[in-house]
Amino acid sequence: MIRRRPTKFRSLRGKSLLVAFAALLLAMQAPFMFTSPLYAQQTERGKELGRRVKCMCGGCEDSATGCNHTGGSFSGPCDTAKGMQKEINERVNRSESDDLTLQAFVQEYGPTVLIVPPAKGFNLAAWVTPVVMPILALILVWFLVRRWRNRATLATASGPGVSSEFLSRARREAGKEYDE
Amino acid sequence: MDILGSFALLLALLAAVYAIGAGIAGIVTRKTLLTKSARNAGLAVFILVTIAVGCLEYYFFTDNFSMAYVAAHSNRALPFYYKFAALWAGQEGSLLLWTWLLSTYAFFALLVNRNKHPELMPYVGVVLAGVQTFFLTLNNFVASPFAVLAGADPSGVMRVSALSDGHGLNPLLQYPEMVIHPPMLYLGYTGFTVPFAFALAALLGRYPGEKWIHITRRWTMIAWCFQSVGILLGAHWAYAVLGWGGYWAWDPVENASLLPWITGTAFLHSVMMQEKRGMMKVWNIWLVFTTFMLCILGTLLTRSGVVSSVHAFAQSSIGNWFVGFLLLVFVVCFASYWRNRDYLRSDNQLDSLVSRESSFLFNNLILLAACFAVLWGTLFPVLSEWVVGSKISVGPPFFNKVNIPIALFLLLLTGVGPLLAWRKTSFDALKRNFAWPLLGGVVAGVVALVFGFRDIYSLICLILGVFVTLTILSEFFRGARVIAARDGSNLISAVGELTMRNTRRYGGYVVHFGMVLIFIGIAGVPFNKDVQKEMAIGQTLNIGPYLILCQNFDRVATANYDSERATLEVFRNGKSEMMLYPERRFFLSSQVTETMVAVQSSPLRDLYIVYAGRSPENGQPVIHAYLNPLVKWIWFGGIVVVLGTGLAMLPNRRTALVLRPVSEPSWGERVSATTSPIGAIAQRGDASD
Repeated sequence: MIRRRPTKFRSLRGKSLLVAFAALLLAMQAPFMFTSPLYAQQTERGKELGRRVKCMCGGCEDSATGCNHTGGSFSGPCDTAKGMQKEINERVNRSESDDLTLQAFVQEYGPTVLIVPPAKGFNLAAWVTPVVMPILALILVWFLVRRWRNRATLATASGPGVSSEFLSRARREAGKEYDE
Repeated sequence: MDILGSFALLLALLAAVYAIGAGIAGIVTRKTLLTKSARNAGLAVFILVTIAVGCLEYYFFTDNFSMAYVAAHSNRALPFYYKFAALWAGQEGSLLLWTWLLSTYAFFALLVNRNKHPELMPYVGVVLAGVQTFFLTLNNFVASPFAVLAGADPSGVMRVSALSDGHGLNPLLQYPEMVIHPPMLYLGYTGFTVPFAFALAALLGRYPGEKWIHITRRWTMIAWCFQSVGILLGAHWAYAVLGWGGYWAWDPVENASLLPWITGTAFLHSVMMQEKRGMMKVWNIWLVFTTFMLCILGTLLTRSGVVSSVHAFAQSSIGNWFVGFLLLVFVVCFASYWRNRDYLRSDNQLDSLVSRESSFLFNNLILLAACFAVLWGTLFPVLSEWVVGSKISVGPPFFNKVNIPIALFLLLLTGVGPLLAWRKTSFDALKRNFAWPLLGGVVAGVVALVFGFRDIYSLICLILGVFVTLTILSEFFRGARVIAARDGSNLISAVGELTMRNTRRYGGYVVHFGMVLIFIGIAGVPFNKDVQKEMAIGQTLNIGPYLILCQNFDRVATANYDSERATLEVFRNGKSEMMLYPERRFFLSSQVTETMVAVQSSPLRDLYIVYAGRSPENGQPVIHAYLNPLVKWIWFGGIVVVLGTGLAMLPNRRTALVLRPVSEPSWGERVSATTSPIGAIAQRGDASD
């Protein structure tokens, strides 16, 4: 003989199954519901710091913040960039200074991780040269112009090399044209 | 048919070598028959290379997958217009395109001048043939586009084999602009060979005067215009396809295209000094040489992989050939200059620092500074690796920091230079010419500040943009007013008359105005915004004044690619404004994904939507929205630059002198003749250049 469970119990069991299913769904969704994706979490300072380091995946020349893998399966930060951005965010949350954060990346990846060369040692030349060269060129042009002007003055002082006969003819003809 | 292309290329090389030999022999022996024969050989090069290009296109259109190049860059499902563009999808085809465009320029340069400049043209022919010989050597022996696929049959004998289908075209290149962007850029690069050839020829042959500059002015402008269009099309392609919301990333290959453009711009300005005053002869010769060498350097950077670039598809070990050629060109140029330097003495000296001459001098200095800064930043990683042993990165912030102040100073000179007179400008003239434009610029700056324009560089750019625009307008207005007063015509037709009388000058102003528009477009960058969000159907995203509602996601399958597309409705102030459909395409043959950005462009801002794909974390569709102010001004500015260049290339309309009976003027009237209309025309004629 088969004993049937009371209806109330059956409905209770159904409810608990429903709750369990809902809980399972909730658990599956939890990472997405409570942990929003990386790009939604970044602070402005974190984004700014991410712009100062290069994504080191080797497949792009972008910054960690600007990583955008063209031709990849996803147009956005790759796993390497996300890892770097996550590290930046953690350091920002620990209130570490910008220099300390960047230094940590330099120690890990070498100076190539910085998107612009640091202004020290030989790399200082990268910054100084584009400023110094135009200034030197400007000075050169200044001297050149002065030399040209001096020459022009001398040329005028010595007078044009034109014969007096030619000059008188030119004056005569100019006068004739004016009278006409 | 299969060997016709490679045979034509080989014959073209022989013809180019013959053109050099016969040309030199003709110059030395002064035998016209030899120089004519050399010229005909130069013309034949174009026909032979055209046959080779035609053959390669034929292989693409007939899906001849026994050709290695066709199999690597095309497939059966590729649309016909991309099959046409696949010619320059890889290195071998790109170099063939280069050679073909170069031979086209050489053909027309030799043909147009066949009965002119008998002392100059043999030298020009030799230089052009020399450059062609280098590229044809590469086409024949280093990067032949006519290599066939071969495989061993069962008996071990190698036979030509064919694939059933090709690997397909790089998806990045499957975009309308990519059909025209590379040829435009190459037309710029190769076009600078013509002024280079004439400059070197004039130096070698000690050709008298500034005639070589008159001959090459239009050639230089054509090359410069193509280079400008090529650069802007590349920027637009990057904006529309790469999906990162920007158009210029200071990538080494982008920089490589900018370098000869900058020196070419400097040359177009400084030649006026030589034409009008016989000054800066050495400078001009070296500007042309440098521009040509930078074109070769650009190809070296693009092709060699010596610096890291996103243009990875173009890298190979061909760089050594270009280094060798670059060194050879430098040695030839330097030796020619050293031997003939006395021929380049200036006829005149600078009279005043406040003059048109000095403004050209500063303009050139600033352009060269910009060129140097870009080159320095591009090559510094290589230099650092040589010197210190560790490679460093030089990214966009470096180029922006260094180049923005230089560019703004250049913009200032764009306004100042044309208002200065030749030789010397008086203080009164300065006050008269600059007071209103300067006031207009300051007022614009104050208004912008009131409306919250807080970025300093953008603010300066706006002030200078208004200043330059007003100086240009005042130039048109002053000239047109004189014509309108004399002819009794209205001001608009007087502007047309004025422009057509001196197309070079007023076309130049139009180009300057185009550059102002481009600068203003770039000044919008600090105000860019972007938001990235996972969006299920029915979810919304806010950016600036827009609310974006996700309506649907669907899939479309074609023979060439599968596409995933978002349907987005854009609202503004609660009102539905438009539908946007950003896409991601998955190309079947190359197994690569590509974005197709949806852009709603207006003069004020671009709403730029990227369907970034499915989130790697949870598979949800991700939409990346950008709000980019003023971008449209850049593309519009580019169109204005092209129109201005076209205008500047037109011949001047000659002034017709109409005699009419007049009453006998009194003595007093005679004295004041200089203030009469004819006097005014004469005065304007003096100032018009």
